[in-house]
Parts: sequence; structure tokens; C-alpha cells
Amino acid sequence: MSQPLPASPGTASHEHVVGMGTVLDHVRTPREVLRPHIVEFRNVTKTYNVGKAEEFTAIRDVNFVVEDIADKGEFICVLGPSGCGKSTILRLIAGLEPQYPATGGDVLVLGKPVIGSGSDRGMVFQDYTSFDHRTVLENVTFGLECLHMPRKQRDELGREWIQKMGLNVENDAQKYPHELSGGMRQRVAIARTLALKPRIILMDEPFGALDPLTRLNMQDLLVKLWKEVQATVFFITHSIEEAVFLGDRVYLMSNSPGTITEELKIEPANRPAHEMQRQPEFLEAVYYIRDKITKLESNP
Amino acid sequence: MNSTFLNRLSHNWLTLRKPVSRLQAIGLGVACVLVCLAGWWFLTRGAYESRIVGPLTLPSPAETFGKFPELWNDFALTRNVLVTLRRVSIGFALALIVGVPIGVTAGCFPRVHAFLSPLIMLGRNVPLAAVLPLMIFIFGAGEKNKVMFIFVASVAFVISDAARAIMDVSARYIDTAYTLGASRWQTITKVLVPLAAPTIFSACRQMFGLAFGYIMLAESIKIADDVGGLGYQIQIFQRRGFREHIYLIILVIPMVALVIDQVLAWVQRQLFPHVYGGDGVLRSLVRVTLIPWENMKSRAFYRTPTSLPSVATAEGPK
Ligand SMILES: Nc1ncnc2c1ncn2[C@@H]1O[C@H](COP(=O)(O)OP(=O)(O)OP(=O)(O)O)[C@@H](O)[C@H]1O
Ligand SMILES: [Mg+2]
Repeated sequence: MSQPLPASPGTASHEHVVGMGTVLDHVRTPREVLRPHIVEFRNVTKTYNVGKAEEFTAIRDVNFVVEDIADKGEFICVLGPSGCGKSTILRLIAGLEPQYPATGGDVLVLGKPVIGSGSDRGMVFQDYTSFDHRTVLENVTFGLECLHMPRKQRDELGREWIQKMGLNVENDAQKYPHELSGGMRQRVAIARTLALKPRIILMDEPFGALDPLTRLNMQDLLVKLWKEVQATVFFITHSIEEAVFLGDRVYLMSNSPGTITEELKIEPANRPAHEMQRQPEFLEAVYYIRDKITKLESNP
Repeated sequence: MNSTFLNRLSHNWLTLRKPVSRLQAIGLGVACVLVCLAGWWFLTRGAYESRIVGPLTLPSPAETFGKFPELWNDFALTRNVLVTLRRVSIGFALALIVGVPIGVTAGCFPRVHAFLSPLIMLGRNVPLAAVLPLMIFIFGAGEKNKVMFIFVASVAFVISDAARAIMDVSARYIDTAYTLGASRWQTITKVLVPLAAPTIFSACRQMFGLAFGYIMLAESIKIADDVGGLGYQIQIFQRRGFREHIYLIILVIPMVALVIDQVLAWVQRQLFPHVYGGDGVLRSLVRVTLIPWENMKSRAFYRTPTSLPSVATAEGPK
């Protein structure tokens, strides 16, 4: 907080455009954003196994701030080499152990320190985490059930979300997760998170295990639904295309201990994924990021 | 020629882990029984003196089964089976009522587990032959000692199996439940216990079979007069030298065990359709009986939230 700011807000000279993206030469600090902050990291450090032989600092002094854009929310994608601490950051926001609590620094959501987990920060995991003993409908309405929403009301809402996620209410609602394909399971996982209308949605490589075509379809679906639920999304991925397509903003992370090295602003996607991802401006942004990540990976 | 035929035979009949049809499975089981009976008949055929195995060791099948009416009528087979079953069931049910909640708690909270682990260790390794006389000191010679013997013999296993089943549920389900707003209690009742339940059930199903063996031990100690039960009967027959009856009871026990196991298997299938397929009659039944309780909680705790899901906002402007 005490060091001088490298640039005053909105100075264009330190930014440069790469295709669809605009590279900021630094990660924005709280002073540069005008709106209230939905998520803010202040010098956050996470060390695993403190005091033991296998002590390991996964992230060090991570700083970033995400604005609370009313009635819209921002879509933040996080890219970085494997093991740089992306999941650590996400789980710190979610308030999940053992990442939570941070070893140092402050994790703030809407200005308040995160204390444990809550349905205001929904999370979708890469592993299939459908509750095997519940039908699709019971999975989707799990969170509502925990709120004690009356059965009729929550089933109605659940069916609606099943439909919105592109599943068939008639056929699929009463199925068990083991009867579903990977793509369908992730749809269920997303539906059950969105049904709670969280302010923040945390997605840790949710499409990582899907085949390329399903993945593109899921991207389109996600863009559509995200506009509807108006949440701030944190989306971790290893696919640069996915990040540039989905993201309003992309954070690049470097390795050991992980920290955010670069922030890019990306133009919003305005057409379906398979079309969008062939545009030259799109590819320019992708190649720029790919070069950066290659560099990050080669000299950590 | 011949070798291709053998090859084909071994391919069709001995494919690794290839499932058999139900009919074939039953057929093969029956075949095994027939082979055993044939062996039995062969060893004990002919006049007493000329038999391969003497009649004092092993009576012939005809002699043995000929005693069945006597066993059934004069020695009240059904009543004794029921007496034995009642003892095992009560003792084992007690073990479940006590053991499952404790095991679940221990599985959820490692501190509780650490605290209980000496007791579990003791219970699992206790020499049952030594426990039996103790049970008689404590509970007398009546029904109580037999029931408690089954309880003591199985409760530690129930606890540790339930704890293990809970601990084996992947942590990602807990994370998921938490990020969907479940409380700790809700995570236990709606996620951990139901996910562990099939494992706990099948462990207990196996243990029931073992308990059925233990009860014979408890029943074979004769202190009071006619305490009944299969173990007690074996004791009597032994004293009177009724070999045929003993062999019959030895054959009856697995049949009773089979019937019970099939009933438990049915319950298991109907309770956990997500594991065994089928329509889950019992699961639906459990759900339906819980509905009033759930509705009560909804009325007590649910407040229509202002920022939270309502059908209208979820659909956007219409
Ligand atoms: N529970 C833990 N205990 C010890 N070390 C951990 C733990 N979780 C993560 N780490 C370490 O912290 C580092 C960052 O982990 P993290 O899972 O955040 O990486 P990531 O960027 O999500 O990687 P990936 O892209 O492979 O998912 C890794 O080196 C990992 O080994
Ligand atoms: Mg990760």
C-alpha cells in the first residue's frame, strides 16, 4: 500500500493491445478501481505444512482486486503453469481447508475477510462431485434443500435449471449420476451451483475432463447462463482458448511460489465458441498468452 | 483339430471374469451339491462293515435324511431355529444401534476416533472364549448373556467398519457440500452418511453371518435347563450320540443363513438403487416417511430470501 503507484488510473501508455486483449503492464491495485471490490487479495501467502519437513510455500504475496460490476459481474480466467497455485487461490476464496486459512495476508470478499465456506461462493470442481446417492433433480436442489426450501418449490426450480443446462427434464431428472456422461455430470454440477444464485462462482477446470466438442458447447452454455445469473466468475483452465473466449479479464500466474504476473483485459465474446475461436484477433491474443506462459514455464 | 476344440471350450467357459447367467450360476451350484452328495453316498454305501467310512464317523445320506422328521417334530426344529435367530438378531441389532452412530461420529471427527481407538482395538481382539464365562457372571445364565455375547462380539467391528466407511468418502464431497451452503450437520446427514451407507450395510451383512456362528458357541454352554436354540441342540445330540441329527443341523444352518442373506441382499438392493440398480422401493419408502419431518423443518426455518432464487428472476424478464 505504501509504494508509489506505477501509473495513474486509465493511463493508456502503459497498456498495449494484442488482438482481442489489452495487456496492463501490472496487476491493478485497489486504488485504480473505482467500484467496490467483490474480491480482493492483499499480500496473500499460503504455506502448506508449516513447521514440518515438507513445508512448502505455494503462493507468495498475491495481490489483486476484482470490481463488483453491478448487474453483470466479471468473468475472470486464471492461467498458469501446473502447480503454480491456481487452485490454492480459488479455494482460499471458497474458504475450504486446508488452503483456508491463508498463512499471511487478507482474503476479502465484499470488503470482509473470508471466514469459512458458504453458498455465496459456489464452486464447480474438475472431478465429478455429483452426490452418487441422489438423483439428478436431488443433486440440483441440494443447496435449496439445505436452505429448507419447501419441496415443491425447490423441485420446480430444480427442473427449470435442469432444462436450462440442456438436460432433458423428463428423462434425466430421475437418473443417478452413474448413469450420466461426464458432460452431463458437469451440467448437473453447474446447475446445482447456479440454482443458489451465488454472487461469486469459482470454477476449477470444470471442463478439463471433457472432450473438445462437448467443451465448446459447455463454453457457449456457460456464457449464456453467466449473463443471466450476473455473478463474478473465477475460472481456472489450462486452455488458453477457453480463457480468452470466456474471460473479461485474464490473470497470468508464475511458478513457485506462485504469484500473479500479468493482467489482461479481454473483449467480451460475441459469437459462438467455434466461430469466435477462429478470428485473427482472438488468435493473436491466444498466441501472446501462449508465448508468455511458455516463458514462465521455461525459466521459473 | 482337437486343440482348436479345447481352445474354443476354454474360451467359452473360462473367459477371465466373464459374468455367468443366473440360470447357469444356479445350475452350477446345484451340480456342486449333487457332486458332494454323490461323494457322500459313495463313501458310506453298503453294509456297515464294508463302508469306506464307518457309520460312527459319517452316517449315509439315507440314514441322515431319514432322521429329519424326528428332528422336525420331536426336537422342534423350527422353534429352535427361531430361538437362535431371535438371539442373534437382538444382539446384533443392539450392536448396530450403538455401533453405527458411534462409528459415524468417529469417522467424522478424528479426535473422537483417536479417543475411542483403544476400546475398538480391545473389542476387535477380545478372546471370545474368555468373554463367554464373563457374560454368564454378569448377566446370568438366561437369554441376556447370549444376546450380550453377540453384542460384545460384534459391536467393535460395527464401530470400526462404520468409521472406516465414513473416512473413505472422498473429501471432495465435503467441499462440494460446504460450497453449496450445507452446514456441518447437513453434510453429515445428507452427504457423508448416505454415501457411506452402502459400504456400512454390506460390512454388517457379512458380520451378521459371523454372529450367527458365534451364537452357536454361546448356546452350547449348558447351564440352565432347556435353553433352546440350535447350539444347545447340537450339545444334546452330541451327548446322546445322535450323529445324524448333528449332520442335519450342520446342513440346516447354512440354509437358514442363505435365506437371511438373501433377504438382506434384497433390502440392500432396494435401499441403494444407485449402487445396485433397480427401482429402490425401500429408498422411496424412507424418503416418503421423511417428508413430514422435512416439511416441518421448511415451515420452521425457511424464509423466502430477497436475493435468492425465485423462479421469476432465474428466468430473467419475461
Ligand atoms: N494440501 C496440500 N498440501 C501440500 N502441498 C500442496 C497442497 N495443495 C497444493 N499443494 C502444493 O501447492 C502447489 C500449488 O498447488 P495448486 O493445487 O494450487 O496448483 P494449481 O495451479 O492448481 O495446479 P494444477 O494446474 O496442476 O491444478 C503445488 O506445488 C502443490 O504441490
Ligand atoms: Mg488445480
